Amino acid sequence: MEIELMENIDDLIKKIQPYFSELSVGDFMSSPVITVREDQTVFYAKELMRAWRISGLPVVDMDGKLKGIISIEDIIHALESGTLEALVSEKMTRNVISLFKYDKIMDAFKKFEMYGYGRFPVVDETDYRVIGIVTKQDLMLALLKKLSILYVHDARREEFVGVDIYRSIPKSVKIERTEFEFQIDYKDISLAGTGASELKKFLLSKNFSPKFVKRIAIATYEAETNVVIHSNSTGRIKAYVEPEFVEVRVNDNGKGIENIEMAMRDGYSTAPDYVREYGFGAGMGLSNMKRCADRMIILSSKGNGVFVEMHFWRHEDES
Amino acid sequence: MKVEMIRDLGFEMVVEGQGEISHGYACDLLSEVMGNAKPDTIWFTVQSHVNIVAVAVITGIKAIVLCNGHDYDEETIEKAKKEKIALFKTKLNTFEAVKKVCNVI
Repeated sequence: MEIELMENIDDLIKKIQPYFSELSVGDFMSSPVITVREDQTVFYAKELMRAWRISGLPVVDMDGKLKGIISIEDIIHALESGTLEALVSEKMTRNVISLFKYDKIMDAFKKFEMYGYGRFPVVDETDYRVIGIVTKQDLMLALLKKLSILYVHDARREEFVGVDIYRSIPKSVKIERTEFEFQIDYKDISLAGTGASELKKFLLSKNFSPKFVKRIAIATYEAETNVVIHSNSTGRIKAYVEPEFVEVRVNDNGKGIENIEMAMRDGYSTAPDYVREYGFGAGMGLSNMKRCADRMIILSSKGNGVFVEMHFWRHEDES
Repeated sequence: MKVEMIRDLGFEMVVEGQGEISHGYACDLLSEVMGNAKPDTIWFTVQSHVNIVAVAVITGIKAIVLCNGHDYDEETIEKAKKEKIALFKTKLNTFEAVKKVCNVI
């Protein structure tokens, strides 16, 4: 069993850039995209943004061609100057930087770095019609998704997540298909493990052996407990299931792990006293996870939450 | 031994359960229990909050004995009924409680 820790998502991205080089903007852009026409009012644009909870809109002409972009900042200016009834074309930013769908992911990265904008419209290269949009979130999701597929499929990943010999490599992991999902939406420590218990029942119902399921449930319990004790936030458990393989992902939106090496030590804990009185916070959670999972990846940095991915292959004595 | 027989050893039954007990474990740190308790275990602890039921469900613990005269939270009792985990309690401390059981497992 191997465990690898990535302290910082930025470092990780740098290390794995080569593995994403073939990804194109068209693979991860959001599409269709909400747009506003240049001859509509700023008020209308504001309502669109409010309804869709977005902070910027590409502006197009009658034919859907890109003319500009209008952001929440432009709306605020219009509000201040009482010009909400003005046309979008008067208030929008012109000379928009856009992407083509065949642009590589690194081109998108460079544009985010270079211009500092939060989003880039994607246009058709012949007629400049808006066909999609890329936000930082799209970019990050694309990376994470690709990363997950790499873990499972691509032996090259061993260069950066450590070398391990698989008992079996799942042949057709359908990573898109979430078999199990649980929201950790409670703060009460005494409820910790609710999701893990549900997952246990779910896996038993899929006819996995109790021994295999116990291993997965224990690791998930510890990850779930960590979310409740440490993240001061909510989280989510997801599990993907194959006949010989189960992948569990637990993530939260909390404060993140500041020193991941320290956190990995047996007996090290930052749990508050009231939690310890309940028998939690013994500093053994991560080592239990490490022991139970065949492979575990933790991504975290201060302020960015924690993402735990654990892989479980059914062992010979777990049939 | 059968879960029902624990009552005959002088422990007060709070929630009934069933099945066979083959192992015992005594600890109050949940992660330790989680990592080390075997299935079909009787668990001795002073923790009474509802999470002990989750630990039992996940590890396959069949019965919990709450020592030192502590009382279970109402929530714990409800949850244990639902999950079919037997709950017992005793005024004995953990060591004395274990002593009673270890000769018959």
